[in-house]
Amino acid sequence: MMINDAIVWLIAIPLLASLLSLVFPKKGTAIAIAGSILGLLASVALVYQVYQSGPITHELGGWKDGLGIVLRVDAMSALFIVMTMLVVTMVGFYASAYFTDAHKKAQFWPLWLMMVVALIALLASGDLFNLYVTLELLGLSAVGLTALSDNRAAVQAAIRYLGIGLLGSLVFLMGVALIYTAYGVLDLAMLATVVEAEPAAQLALALMTAGLLIKSALFPMHFWLPAAHANAPAPVSAALSALVVKVSVYLIIRLWFDVFSPVLQPTASFMLGVLGALAVVWGSWQALRAERLKLMAAYSTVAQLGYLFIFIPLVMAFPVGEERNTALAAFLLLALTHAFAKSALFLSSGVVLQRAGHDRIAELGGTARALPLTIFVIALAGVALIGLPPSGSFLGKWYLISSAVQTGQWWWIVVIAMGSLLAAGYMFRILGHAFGPDESIGKVMAKGSEEIPALILALTATVVLGFGSAWMWDFVNLASPLAGN
Amino acid sequence: MNDWLLLSFDILILFILLGLAWLTCNTKEIKRGVTLFVAFGLLLAVIWARLKAPDLALAEAIIGAGISGALLLKAMRDYTEQTSLSSETSRFYVWGINAASLALFVLLAWGLWHALERSDGVRLAENVLITTPESGVSHPVTAVLLNFRAYDTLLELAVVFTAVLVVLAMGTKQRDFGKGEPILIAMVRWLAPILIVTSGYLLWVGAHAPGGAFQAGAMLAAAFILMSMTGVRVDSMLNDSSMRWLLVIGIGVFTITGIVMLLINGHFLAYSKELAKMLILLIEAAATLSIAAALTLAYLGGMPKPQQKTQSAVKIDKTEEGTS
Repeated sequence: MMINDAIVWLIAIPLLASLLSLVFPKKGTAIAIAGSILGLLASVALVYQVYQSGPITHELGGWKDGLGIVLRVDAMSALFIVMTMLVVTMVGFYASAYFTDAHKKAQFWPLWLMMVVALIALLASGDLFNLYVTLELLGLSAVGLTALSDNRAAVQAAIRYLGIGLLGSLVFLMGVALIYTAYGVLDLAMLATVVEAEPAAQLALALMTAGLLIKSALFPMHFWLPAAHANAPAPVSAALSALVVKVSVYLIIRLWFDVFSPVLQPTASFMLGVLGALAVVWGSWQALRAERLKLMAAYSTVAQLGYLFIFIPLVMAFPVGEERNTALAAFLLLALTHAFAKSALFLSSGVVLQRAGHDRIAELGGTARALPLTIFVIALAGVALIGLPPSGSFLGKWYLISSAVQTGQWWWIVVIAMGSLLAAGYMFRILGHAFGPDESIGKVMAKGSEEIPALILALTATVVLGFGSAWMWDFVNLASPLAGN
Repeated sequence: MNDWLLLSFDILILFILLGLAWLTCNTKEIKRGVTLFVAFGLLLAVIWARLKAPDLALAEAIIGAGISGALLLKAMRDYTEQTSLSSETSRFYVWGINAASLALFVLLAWGLWHALERSDGVRLAENVLITTPESGVSHPVTAVLLNFRAYDTLLELAVVFTAVLVVLAMGTKQRDFGKGEPILIAMVRWLAPILIVTSGYLLWVGAHAPGGAFQAGAMLAAAFILMSMTGVRVDSMLNDSSMRWLLVIGIGVFTITGIVMLLINGHFLAYSKELAKMLILLIEAAATLSIAAALTLAYLGGMPKPQQKTQSAVKIDKTEEGTS
């Protein structure tokens, strides 16, 4: 019974852990780690369950026919959930060593666990209004976590992040209200059966997409991201870049292809692809020019999210069926690889920042000798971000290019090539400085609890997803509503 | 005749509302802006009442006008010297925002027009009205909030909880207000107990009439906020540890009930029918406490500081002036 209700436990466990960590601040770390590990196990059980028996639904309150709220998990959400739990668990281990101030640590855990609740609840939600609530919860907890940094810039970035987040949610809510007025339903599956290509639904979809674009920092709405992600504490930056912006992209894909497919316009999807392409070029270029390690990682996120948007016009060009599912699986692979690689990169940047006292790229000389494992992790993350074999993003980009050829949209290939070259540029620039002769960093040591989680994440991105992702293609085909199950 | 009178009343308050909104956005002085905003909230509450949404009217009056007003006043007191509204924002920027808002308004109006045109077929609201008798309560709004879509309410409580965590993360408790005028203190002494009793009433009637946990919790918080505003040392009644328990009890009871129901009935938050009314009341009572604690803490701006144990706790502190 416990296994069958894994999705409920995945929400209830971090929720209760968040409450407990507030009531017992001194035991916060133990509570959070225990909660994360239980959640990680539940997420593996969930993937197994979906793999065995296809998409699952859980009617909350036992109400049917759209009266209550339904949790729905298919291949895409199951994989995003397991990705979330793995990143959260590893970053949690890192955070327990990162925060030295007991007071800060006590403030961190309740917010952190609430962010986990919001992420899982968003990924599992099958209800339009409920999605809005999860977006609010996610935005608010992310703002609180950003503000936990000591410096003034972080608090300013957090306040701006709050404003942007609220704007995004509000625009999303307007779309929800329009849909409810026109169709009188909130359940996504029910909505998918009644929605038609008419002005109210088109405007609603446009509003919801706009809200999510702001939250997912697609070019040119990316302006808030670098400041927030670069100034937050390292574990928070890792989660923001790897997970928080990404679930907005997930939601766009979910709404576009599962719910609003009758409403879609090829022009709109092409425009999203163009914005994605601009994000790839602009983000990579800014990352190449960035003077600080964390700022570089933040701009790299802008670029990497761009790739995910290029998938939208490509997925749309395929008819519903196996080909579309293959493109979707490639999208998932790229998103997962980026999540693991970017969180590893941010954790390593945090180690460098704490040990060297700064993260100015030009002054990183000698880091490779002082922190060999950390620099190795940065290199591994670089392999995945550039898209070199054997990383998961190599396969993801390979399919991206081949579907661009298949659908005759060759111009995306130019963008992908440019992005990969620029990514190679900014990653090798860091490694070049880190292996430089300068001794400015001196003799420092990093704790295993800081370096091992980052290593596990980086290895997942490069080796596990590269060699062990074959089953994902079947999985998406078997357990996706797009397959017509 | 009566209809005609009501219609002209509606049109009148609608125009006043728009006027207040315009003034709130365009006033140069912060204090006037806040006052106008509170008036705007109260008028909006009247409009909700006219739209036959008394639950919303209550919530808007207590939270939208009352608590938000208090929060704004407190924030204004601390920052009013440094900040003045729209001093550095350029004219171009302001008109850009105005133009964008106007465009959004036109778009929304156009979308709403089309949405209203096709609003027929099976609708959720009708389904709710039919099923309400099975929910354990007879008030449909409470049936939706605490039974049909209880999970939404659980997550909304989590949003309130998180908002307080953010407040706690951003800083420590702000300076209290000084002791108020004697007449004001006397009035609050009368008002605070009434607010507390009304809060209990709102919680209880929620089962069959407008009311419920959010309104009751906000009312309870309003009692504390009023006391704090007149210089009563509220934080001496509350210590750090009890505040933490109060903050979590709402979500805690809600989630544990949900899990117990999952184990018994196979669905999260699926109440057993004969227990539904009692469980809803239990959850609402716990949620009321948490909401009150959350709003009070948000107003105070941080956890109450540990107090010297020697001081008498509950009485109005006459020896100390209001600086903490």
